[in-house]
Amino acid sequence: MRIDYNINDKFDFGLFLPVMTLFALGLAAIYSSTVNNILAHENFQKQMIWGLTSIIIFFITYSLPSNVFRSTAIPIYAIGIFLLVAVLGIGRQISGSKSWIMLGSFGFQPSEFAKLATILAIAWYLSRSNCDIDSFKEILFTLGIGLAPTFLILLEPDVGTSMVYVSLILTMFFWKGISSFSLFVVLSPAFVAICAVFGTIYFIVALAVVLIFLIIFKKDLFFNASIFAFNLACGFFADYVFKALSPHQQRRIQAFLDPMSDPLGSGYNTIQAKVAIGSGGLFGKGFLSGNQTQLQFIPEQWTDFAFCVIGEEFGFIGSLAVLGIFLYFFLRILKLAHNTKDEFLSLVSIGILAVYLTHFIINLGMVVGLLPVVGIPLPFISYGGSSLLVNMIMLGILANLYRTRKNYT
Amino acid sequence: MKTEKFGSLKRKTIIYFVISVSSIVLIGRLFQMQILYQESYEIKSSDNSIKSLELEPLRGVFYDRNYKVLVSSNPAYTLRITPAYYDTSLNHIIETVIGTEPGYIKNLLLQNRIYSKFIPIKIRRGIDFKSIAWFEENSEHLFGVDYIIEMQRYYPADVMASHSFGYTKEISPQLLLKQKEIYKPGDYIGYNGIEKAYEKFLRGVKGFQYVLVDSKRKQIGRYLNGTEDVVPVKGYDLVLGIEASTQKVAEEEFKGKRGALVAIEPSTGEIIAMVSFPDYDLNQFSFFTSKNFLDSIYSDQEKPLFNRATMSVNPPGSTFKMLEALTALDLGLINTSYTIHCTGGFTYGRYFKCHGTHGTVNVITAIEKSCNVFFYKLIYKIGLEQWKAYAEKFGFGHPTGIDIAEEVQGFIPDEKYYIKRYGNEWPKSIMASLGIGQGEVSVTTLQLAQYISLLANDGKTKTPHFVRGYIDDKTESLVPFEYKEINTNVSQSALDVVKEGMFLVVNGHGTATHIKLPDIEIAGKTGTAQNPHGEDHAWFIGFAPYDDPKIAVAILVENVGFGGTHAAPIAKKIIQTYLNSFKGQGKTLDEEIVIYEKTKKVN
Repeated sequence: MRIDYNINDKFDFGLFLPVMTLFALGLAAIYSSTVNNILAHENFQKQMIWGLTSIIIFFITYSLPSNVFRSTAIPIYAIGIFLLVAVLGIGRQISGSKSWIMLGSFGFQPSEFAKLATILAIAWYLSRSNCDIDSFKEILFTLGIGLAPTFLILLEPDVGTSMVYVSLILTMFFWKGISSFSLFVVLSPAFVAICAVFGTIYFIVALAVVLIFLIIFKKDLFFNASIFAFNLACGFFADYVFKALSPHQQRRIQAFLDPMSDPLGSGYNTIQAKVAIGSGGLFGKGFLSGNQTQLQFIPEQWTDFAFCVIGEEFGFIGSLAVLGIFLYFFLRILKLAHNTKDEFLSLVSIGILAVYLTHFIINLGMVVGLLPVVGIPLPFISYGGSSLLVNMIMLGILANLYRTRKNYT
Repeated sequence: MKTEKFGSLKRKTIIYFVISVSSIVLIGRLFQMQILYQESYEIKSSDNSIKSLELEPLRGVFYDRNYKVLVSSNPAYTLRITPAYYDTSLNHIIETVIGTEPGYIKNLLLQNRIYSKFIPIKIRRGIDFKSIAWFEENSEHLFGVDYIIEMQRYYPADVMASHSFGYTKEISPQLLLKQKEIYKPGDYIGYNGIEKAYEKFLRGVKGFQYVLVDSKRKQIGRYLNGTEDVVPVKGYDLVLGIEASTQKVAEEEFKGKRGALVAIEPSTGEIIAMVSFPDYDLNQFSFFTSKNFLDSIYSDQEKPLFNRATMSVNPPGSTFKMLEALTALDLGLINTSYTIHCTGGFTYGRYFKCHGTHGTVNVITAIEKSCNVFFYKLIYKIGLEQWKAYAEKFGFGHPTGIDIAEEVQGFIPDEKYYIKRYGNEWPKSIMASLGIGQGEVSVTTLQLAQYISLLANDGKTKTPHFVRGYIDDKTESLVPFEYKEINTNVSQSALDVVKEGMFLVVNGHGTATHIKLPDIEIAGKTGTAQNPHGEDHAWFIGFAPYDDPKIAVAILVENVGFGGTHAAPIAKKIIQTYLNSFKGQGKTLDEEIVIYEKTKKVN
């Protein structure tokens, strides 16, 4: 084993610098959108403090022995689940979701922290030496680990964050090497359940699609029949649960599934966000000169809609820069995950990538009006302490992995 | 321990593909928004944040002839609702606070549903401060409810002149359609009287203030520090011929009576006072006009909204005798030595009564004593055609052209009319009635006022009018309006004879000697309009001073009987009041400017 004292060999600037650039751009956006807002003008300073804290924790995570993540995976997961249960009891409701635990004036979101816990737990489970990803039992168990926090978060309710969990579970399954049939077995009940909520016709069509796939995969009849029965049960169960919900919860779910059913609620934000970005043009209106931003047309723009500030004030060039940095960053992680020989750490990396990427796609898709409005932040850019902190810890794990990558050769 | 499939290159490529495709989609979308459609978003963006606020101009003030303020504007609170943001479940509580009947808001919203939901609807004017405080306190629960300060008419001189001034009212949808470029829903417009006739002068020009608003439409600042703002231009102030104290006395004199009065300055045609009673309270229109008030005023048997001075016609009675005398004198059919013998009656087909036995009378005495027999006979000498021609010369049978629009023309019959009605052999006895101003002939009080002005002022006057001119704000001087000269071209000697008769009515042994004044020489004529529906109406027309007429007045008091008793004393009061206020100062234009500037400083 050759020891290279070159700093580039120990520390991945290719991961760290893009994130710092995004963080700086985020700070600029937060400053611009809060400088004229009496209620939020402290947010810039707060984010600075969160940023410095996060960087320190990043370096701590970076310096930890790499086996610490595997050994602490289960306790961390347990703490994560505990906090998610606790928040349902003692949490504070902010903008419709009971997702905050307050310690004095300091608040954090367990759902952010639990992302990491879930990644570690799934990675731990899937990286056991005797793990057979295509065994029905293993799939169910992994799903159990992943869906437990997902359901707890759905109860808050925070649909956006739940989607991130679903995404990371599927990505990690995929990375582990799940066969397309097993993936189908995992996905089909969810597909049928969602269709069941839409109505009877969708439910029947979904079942027909499942049936066609079962025929294509040519498994034995008993197995096919039991999967079909399970799908059917999921559909009825979803329908039953949906009808048991209070009407306003039903509306929320419908609004999520069909955003046009509530055009005034989230539609307004989308329209204003599009106007802000669109009017930015090629070069933008200039820092602190975007009227959409400065006149606060978008509520709490510094959180989920922070990208609008960049789009409006820095234009297409600025937007392109942000997208380019993210693209580079994602490919860098993907490369790292692919090159890592340690299965656990590789799965952790791909889980982290899934989290970042899902946030990126859903947040930007929503901001530019391609996806329904689901309140999840843009990593490193949006205002928010817990989110930044957890993202930086995850980055710390990636950096740690880079530092120790040669240990596993 | 890596299985064959774990993290395989194929799976890496798929994830690589997912990342790339989503990035490309997002970049494409951003390119579309920021480069291709940038312009349309730009327009939306600037439209979003810069709002133009209308600034209402100050409506012009009415001055009386001595630059006393008659009608002005005061700030008042107006409550508004913007339907787009408003929740109708608030209707009840708001109606309770502003004290209107249930369903009032619903009704208003319904009436205004043809306009954009984002245009605020004025719900009620003249909201008291207590209610405004309530709205202010609860503003966070009252989405789409706000209030503005608007100017509201008020009447500081304590004269009502309801029918002359008129009132302003929220513009009707029908009218709005015709004048879309000037008015907006909720704007107030002169609805009748001078307010309506001079709307163009009074309304001024709206200003605009460009403000920056946030997403809650809350104002957060001025656009470009207000450099793009358009300052509203105040409406022109009007100078009226009305004399405040005379108008006030006229209104007081008519309290409890029905009728009309028009006082004119004979040389100019300016209206010094005009009343029509019963009248109504203009303040009720300048504030929120309650349904109860409207119901009561529309259903009132006495028709207070009806302007009796210009809209109500009656036979002129004996006041028409001067016209007949003048016609005969001017045509040379008679002179002062022409006499008849009055035995208390006259037979032409049937018997026509006189109200006394006057013996031998000439034209002067006939006017003085109002001898019917003289005029019964005279009309046959003149003939209907000439009589009608002179009546028209003196402004009867057609509108006077007064500057406030509502006016009827009255009626002067001619031979054609009677032939149509009775055939070629129409009874000529009808003419005897016309000779004493009864029968089919009908006139307005305004027409009689114009007629007495012409008699007083040597057969010349100008179209009767309220508004002398407007004040030019740049030069601060009066810009007079031009009015048509009226010249009857009757001979001075004929006029002098008639005037002498009218002088004797008051100062000789006539029918109105009880209004004779020691210091002012009044000339006039009483009249009684026969009323088939009830008690006769009393007329008095007169002017003063006799040698240099400054005021001519026509008075109608309905259903009281003889004119000398009921109408003449009012004329005396009016003449006295006016001449005392006037004190004979002839003002030139330059002097008027001085007076105007003085009053400006005081105000």
